[in-house]
Amino acid sequence: MSIGVAGAQAAGRAEGVRPSRFRPPPIRLLLLLPALLYMGLLTQAPFIVTLWYSIHKWILDRPDFGKPLVGLDNFTYTVTQDTVFRDAVLTTVEITASIIAVCLVLGLSFALLLNRPFRGRGVVRALMISPFFVMPTVNAIVWKNLLLDPSGGFVNWLLTSLHISAVDWLTQYPKLSVVAIASWQWTPFMMLILLAGLQGVPDEVREAAKLDGASGVGEFLYITLPLLARYIELCLLLGTIYVLNLFGEIRVATEGGPGTQTTTLPYYVYQTIHDYNDVGSSAALGVLMVIFASIIAAGLLRLLTRTFSGDE
Amino acid sequence: MIGTIKGGSGARKQPASIGGSLLTLATYLIAFAFFFPIFWTVLAGFKTELDAGASPPVFFFHPTLDNYHSALFDTGYTDFFKNSAWLAIGSTLLAFLLGVPAAYSLAIYRTKRVKGTLSWVLSTKMMPVVGVIVPIFVIYRQIGLLDSRLGMIFLYAAMNMPLVIWMMHSFFAEIPRAIIEAAEVDGAGVLTILARVVLPVSGPGLASTGLICLIFSWNEFFLVYMLTAGNAGTLPLYLVRFMSSHGQSLASMSAASTIAIAPVFVAGWAAQRSLVRGLTMGAVK
Repeated sequence: MSIGVAGAQAAGRAEGVRPSRFRPPPIRLLLLLPALLYMGLLTQAPFIVTLWYSIHKWILDRPDFGKPLVGLDNFTYTVTQDTVFRDAVLTTVEITASIIAVCLVLGLSFALLLNRPFRGRGVVRALMISPFFVMPTVNAIVWKNLLLDPSGGFVNWLLTSLHISAVDWLTQYPKLSVVAIASWQWTPFMMLILLAGLQGVPDEVREAAKLDGASGVGEFLYITLPLLARYIELCLLLGTIYVLNLFGEIRVATEGGPGTQTTTLPYYVYQTIHDYNDVGSSAALGVLMVIFASIIAAGLLRLLTRTFSGDE
Repeated sequence: MIGTIKGGSGARKQPASIGGSLLTLATYLIAFAFFFPIFWTVLAGFKTELDAGASPPVFFFHPTLDNYHSALFDTGYTDFFKNSAWLAIGSTLLAFLLGVPAAYSLAIYRTKRVKGTLSWVLSTKMMPVVGVIVPIFVIYRQIGLLDSRLGMIFLYAAMNMPLVIWMMHSFFAEIPRAIIEAAEVDGAGVLTILARVVLPVSGPGLASTGLICLIFSWNEFFLVYMLTAGNAGTLPLYLVRFMSSHGQSLASMSAASTIAIAPVFVAGWAAQRSLVRGLTMGAVK
């Protein structure tokens, strides 16, 4: 504190006016600001640069074109004429929603199975969490080569053993395959959140419901599920934030194909910068992706608060 | 209090019925089926290439350590493994260096702005990475950070900092104010209190936050794929390249994959108890 006063006075003397303006920031801010400035520099500043790039035509391997300012051309082209973009938006919604739905149903089922006492529960829990630890690339490599491969894959061996003809999953059902691969990874995430929620449901409440003659299903629908609402909400929100950015699985398993069937928005941004070196268009796509994600997050939040607070 | 009530009713609910046993059996089967892809990969790492590629699949075979051995001692692999370790540890330390004081400040000085600051921190996590990748790529190319460990450490630290701030904030907020106030009365400064009083009692929080940061950095793929090649590339990049060049060598691919995911399993199982808290940024305890 004494240093602060001395510093302020020194600064005041040097400037000759209003010494009180040069008080050093309080320790509260000194602890906080480095982190905030760092995050601002690495996440917000680049986005502003993205906005700047998005109004230019700039192709990295064609320096002869220069970097002319083109206004909103990149955006109008993308939104009105680029069919790949339109398909990518639909694919992103379709794949994300399917993954979230599958994860929620499986995650809740697993959580219910784990929320009762039985021998070896710790081991079972550890086994069920495991897929979440597998890095997305390994996840996709394993599914593509060991499980879904049309000739030697385990899934097709199972099918043919049951006298069902083999399927070339990644070619015939690319979206379904991506959904399966990503759901396997994200189900444990939702399971853990929902399990924490279930463990917060007081046993007395459930037993009171049983005494009142509620059946298992009734108890689940009218007691457990409403108490889980907040946790389901969290699953939806966080799950959507993470799954919207799905990339490694698609890059490894399908490379956005066949054709553009599994080209999601993040994957399309990657293609425009990585394969076409088109800075302007990929920046515009990046901006659109941010808008898209914000709309989904905001919409989801509003929907959830309305549904769960009960005032329609 | 709550614990005893739960324990009591739990004891009453011991599954004695046939239905209960069947449900338990079903649980075992489902858990195994769900874990099966990992089991199958670890197993395939012990097979010869012939057995690994065999159709129908081979369940009983003479195990070999060749694949694990060659993965571990292949210089290409170990370089990428080292990079993974460098980036994970370096970025976690940097995220802690900046994030822990920030979390402490937010937990101790309860001003009106705390809530807004925390939401802003969270909002940086919601920003899709494709919204910032193009300038980072262009700027990194200009200033020579493309394909460098340092450049990746910077980015991973920014990626993990919201998690550090939120999670450590939730841990710090639980520390009884009396402890901190007592130290203040003794004349200790803010930094002394943080270093001598608060951090020593935050061991479990720091450990689980650190483990989750390590996991996220270790598994990250998009940034490493866009911004690195041979110099700073991590294991996910190595494995994707390995698949495109040796797609038929299922056994060596499985061994390399197993070694790549093993550290995360150790970290993840160790952090299991606070995993939910970390994944939900401290929202669920």
